[in-house]
Amino acid sequence: MPLLKTNNVTMQFGGLTAVNDFNLELNDGEIIALIGPNGAGKTTAFNVITGVYKPTKGNIRFNEQDITGLRPDQITNKGIARTFQNIRLFKDLSVLDNVLIANHLNVKSNFLEASFKLPRYNKEERIMREKSLALLEKVGLVDLRNEKSSSLPYGKQRRLEIARALATNPKILLLDEPAAGMNPKETEDLTLFIKQIRDEFNLTIFMIEHHMQVVMGISDRIYVFDYGVTIAQGTPHEIQNNPKVIEAYLGVSEDA
Amino acid sequence: MKNKKNLYTLISIVLVFLFLVYANKNFDSYQIRIMNLCAIYVILGLSMNLINGFTGLFSLGHAGFMAIGAYTTAILTMPLAVKESNFFLAPMAAPLNSIVWPFVPALLLGGLLSAAAAFVIGAPALRLKGDYLAIATLGFGEIIRILITNAQRVTNGALGLKGIPDTTNIWWTFGIAALTIVFMTLLINSSYGRAFKAIREDEIAAENMGISLFKHKMLAFIIGAFFAGIGGGLLGSLLGTVDPKPFNFMMTFNILFIIVLGGMGSITGTVISAFIVTISMEALRVLDSSINLGFMVIPGITGMRMVIYSLLLIVVIIYFRRGLMGTSEFSWDKAFEFFKRLPLSKGGAKNAVTKNK
Repeated sequence: MPLLKTNNVTMQFGGLTAVNDFNLELNDGEIIALIGPNGAGKTTAFNVITGVYKPTKGNIRFNEQDITGLRPDQITNKGIARTFQNIRLFKDLSVLDNVLIANHLNVKSNFLEASFKLPRYNKEERIMREKSLALLEKVGLVDLRNEKSSSLPYGKQRRLEIARALATNPKILLLDEPAAGMNPKETEDLTLFIKQIRDEFNLTIFMIEHHMQVVMGISDRIYVFDYGVTIAQGTPHEIQNNPKVIEAYLGVSEDA
Repeated sequence: MKNKKNLYTLISIVLVFLFLVYANKNFDSYQIRIMNLCAIYVILGLSMNLINGFTGLFSLGHAGFMAIGAYTTAILTMPLAVKESNFFLAPMAAPLNSIVWPFVPALLLGGLLSAAAAFVIGAPALRLKGDYLAIATLGFGEIIRILITNAQRVTNGALGLKGIPDTTNIWWTFGIAALTIVFMTLLINSSYGRAFKAIREDEIAAENMGISLFKHKMLAFIIGAFFAGIGGGLLGSLLGTVDPKPFNFMMTFNILFIIVLGGMGSITGTVISAFIVTISMEALRVLDSSINLGFMVIPGITGMRMVIYSLLLIVVIIYFRRGLMGTSEFSWDKAFEFFKRLPLSKGGAKNAVTKNK
């Protein structure tokens, strides 16, 4: 059984079908990419999986459970975390606080225990602090832990967003254009980084990306969207030689 | 260094305590009343700041929560004879006409009822965002006021209640204000406080990090309402009389002004500005009477100070949008740095010179 499976997921906004009969299968440990021209419905597909939108049709199964129509926080609790296309950090808060907040879903103490620092909460707070610092260490931001998150350079903000998503203990990590706006060196680092966290945290990664270098370099399989329709899927090699994909990206030659 | 800071904190607490002892003995009753009002506004400001400043919910129903607390405390603590003389239009509803509670349980019940009202109103209203939430909560505040005006046999309607035992003194108000400050600080610095701030910063991101928006918004709303109820109860007991009129939008607006001036999301800011606003509101009373400028006489216009007050609010919103403290809090390190930077102090001048080089 795949870890995550969507069955004919369709998302309509009025007359516009943003995602049409999307059938995704994510197997444990895979890195899967979703590509397509701008406005193809890639981010909408992410939003449907993470519960921001409820699909018009179809269902989503995660770990053999139906998660269609759950709220985003419930879906994160089940083990699907995400980053955003236009970075959404908690800007006014410190780097460490950003990661600590993502640990809040594991807090069992109620607000009174937390306010009066009762033993159960103290233990939870200590564990989440240790865990967050370890995560920041891994993404190379531990020295910046007390900085305001909005003061970090762009590439580091992206890393922090990934660290924050990892703090929720996900099984699947959804990355929305992780390499957007990065220079070639940063892109290369990111590719290695994604592989590294996949192995270290036993993740399955599903990402939207435009950088073909990243996509072709690390994906096990690729899905291609055009106008909400899955026009192709397969290994990087198959996708590169698929005429439909070339057509969607480059258009058709008139002579042909 | 940490011990040193704790020592400073301890010394400050003792100093405040000694000041209160002094004030209680030597200030006249008018000054003491203002002191009490300051402390009550600290409680009210902090309770509203939790909802509006820390969690980022634009709620304007605070007067409603205060009214619930004020009336509950007043009704429960009034002696039976006073109740009878108050309710001359229609007799008071049983069993309220035969029970008298001590101050503390009455105050607590006021807070709890207010929290319960927050639960009832919050369940539908907190699904709204921004301006829509503001309008819904504003409506709630007015509904409470109208209900109180019309529940003749429980609240004595528009006549209000007079002769509420004046249990409140400087120790009650400052004691409860201190407890509120301590509780809010602890709450804000806990994991729940971080979740509140996350919701304020970015709801979508917070929800995707596994924070249930509804649960945490409700929590902040209910805790805020609880303390608003307590503040209202203290206010009623301080003034000795409650009637529905003062619990209108202006009351909410006063508290909103305190938290905006102090800084949305700063406990220190709220405490400081509660004192500034309360004291200056009294000081500005001069404006309500006629003023002789020498060459002309401005006749006394009641409400003149509210005009000045509104102008001040506009200035604050345009030029000091983050208020006195923004979202930062007091710490001894920052305080020392602040004094060091003052040019008149020793280190300050030296620093200025070295910086110029």
